[in-house]
Amino acid sequence: MDGWCAMADRAASGRRASWSQARRADGLALRNAIPDRLLPVLVAAMAVLAAMALAGATGARVLSARWTTGAASIVTVQVPRPDDPALSAPIAAQPAPLSRGDAVLAALADMPGASRVHRLDRTELEALLSPWLGHGGGFALALPAVIELHFDRAGAGDADALAARLNARAPDTLVERNSLWSDRLGDLARSLQTCAILAVLIVVAVAAATIAATTRAGLGARRQAIELIHSLGATDGYIAGRFARRTAVLAFTGGLIGSLLALPLLVLLSHLAAPFAGPPAMATPPDASGWAGLLDALPLPLAVTLLSLAPAAALIGWLTTQVTVRTWLRRLP
Amino acid sequence: MIRLRDVSFRHEGVRDDVREDNQGGIALRRLSFDVPQGGFRWLLGPSGAGKSSLLRLLHLAVRPTSGRMEILGMDMDQTRRAALARLRRRIGVVHQDFRLLPDLPVFDNIALPLRLQHRPEDEIRDEVLSILDWVGLRARATARPPHLSGGEQQRVAIARAVIHRPALVLADEPTNALDDQQASRLMELFQDLAGLGTTIVVATHNDGLVRRYPAHELELAHGRLVRDG
Ligand SMILES: Nc1ncnc2c1ncn2[C@@H]1O[C@H](COP(=O)(O)OP(=O)(O)OP(=O)(O)O)[C@@H](O)[C@H]1O
Ligand SMILES: [Mg+2]
Repeated sequence: MDGWCAMADRAASGRRASWSQARRADGLALRNAIPDRLLPVLVAAMAVLAAMALAGATGARVLSARWTTGAASIVTVQVPRPDDPALSAPIAAQPAPLSRGDAVLAALADMPGASRVHRLDRTELEALLSPWLGHGGGFALALPAVIELHFDRAGAGDADALAARLNARAPDTLVERNSLWSDRLGDLARSLQTCAILAVLIVVAVAAATIAATTRAGLGARRQAIELIHSLGATDGYIAGRFARRTAVLAFTGGLIGSLLALPLLVLLSHLAAPFAGPPAMATPPDASGWAGLLDALPLPLAVTLLSLAPAAALIGWLTTQVTVRTWLRRLP
Repeated sequence: MIRLRDVSFRHEGVRDDVREDNQGGIALRRLSFDVPQGGFRWLLGPSGAGKSSLLRLLHLAVRPTSGRMEILGMDMDQTRRAALARLRRRIGVVHQDFRLLPDLPVFDNIALPLRLQHRPEDEIRDEVLSILDWVGLRARATARPPHLSGGEQQRVAIARAVIHRPALVLADEPTNALDDQQASRLMELFQDLAGLGTTIVVATHNDGLVRRYPAHELELAHGRLVRDG
């Protein structure tokens, strides 16, 4: 009888029996251990939640940037008794004494950083005051001159220095920066962002927990096979890698489905948000550049969010499974 | 090469109330012996003596409770987890209960050690078909273990244990489901492998076989080594 040792050494590559299926079966049978339905569906649902939360965070950031620059860039100057003569100019000789209102306007004309200086006319003033004084015009009160000063950037212009300079020409002039608005809007935006980030973190945690539970179920289902290939010399890295690739692929699929589902929602949300992304009510009507800027700004972060959902899900799946499997394998010697 | 010094082993969760009849659960007590490379050892002793427990220690399925153990030149105290896995790939085991994966065809069960070594698939096919011929199971290559007879399952387990030419073969009663002729062929294989430098330890109750193939004996009783020669 021929020994196997001798026989195997002669084993020629000419052997091409009916056994032609080249399968890489290592007994883990991950298709059975981690079925391909439940996990992608769960991950897809969580990806939609994450997309909405991230859209909220992005929206809050964009809107707050708009609102705070819009509100902060306006300084309101009030000049009481605008028609009284101003104090004499400190420098050049004036051809005729200016009224207080005109003197302040003139002083503001060369403000560095100011893009627009606008004195509200009588109609605008009345519109502004009508909630308190009613319509009909012809107020008996002496109205102050109200001048709006627009800056290109938020925080430009030192309100105190400006007040000192203007009071030199027209005492009792008030300079008011609309920072209360911007502070509150900033706080609101930050809270919204924090909530959104918290929501994303919770979604990530739930996703990881789901994947860990699925992995543990798979480990339990294939316990016999895992123990066997471990005893045959499979490394922890090999076993963990096999499981991790499986969950990463399933999570990627789920992430992809989720981002496809989230796409119409995000488009809808960004359209709904668009009108509010302009400067706030105090300012002039939104100009074309603001709208165009919004349309440019919003879709990019959202597109990045959408594109990163599937890879992020895959990464979470891969990492969670690696940790879960390696921890589980520690029970084996 | 195997070297044990004062190796004891107690099954996990078993209390250490030492009783001389070994009913206390201490499977192995202070074993010391060597097996050189290419050496063949019969592992003998009555049922419950600790033969399977010793083989489990030797194939690194459990760690000694105390004592020093060296397998294939590696000291178990100093070997890291990843190195243990590498070591296991150089050991072939025939389990007393076969431990075949019921949902894998015979072919894939036998191919497992080669697949874990990431050998090319056509090479695996040649090797597996060749050993299937040798164990007489080529026609059963696609069958699943639960559909095989006991002896056929044992031959699959034997094929899986030697397919990757391990440096150490540990066989736990590898002939108990085989007929005499198959048992003799297995012994010839073991002799061939030992001649090629493979270290072999075979636990058995088969006195007839031991008489026919006399070799160095390790005999256990109540978890102690009572003969080494
Ligand atoms: N997993 C376990 N947990 C606790 N005790 C065990 C375990 N496995 C074996 N034992 C005990 O260890 C002792 C040695 O068992 P072992 O299986 O090594 O004997 P054996 O010599 O192989 O016997 P047999 O010839 O019947 O196979 C026995 O008393 C047994 O009851
Ligand atoms: Mg036994």
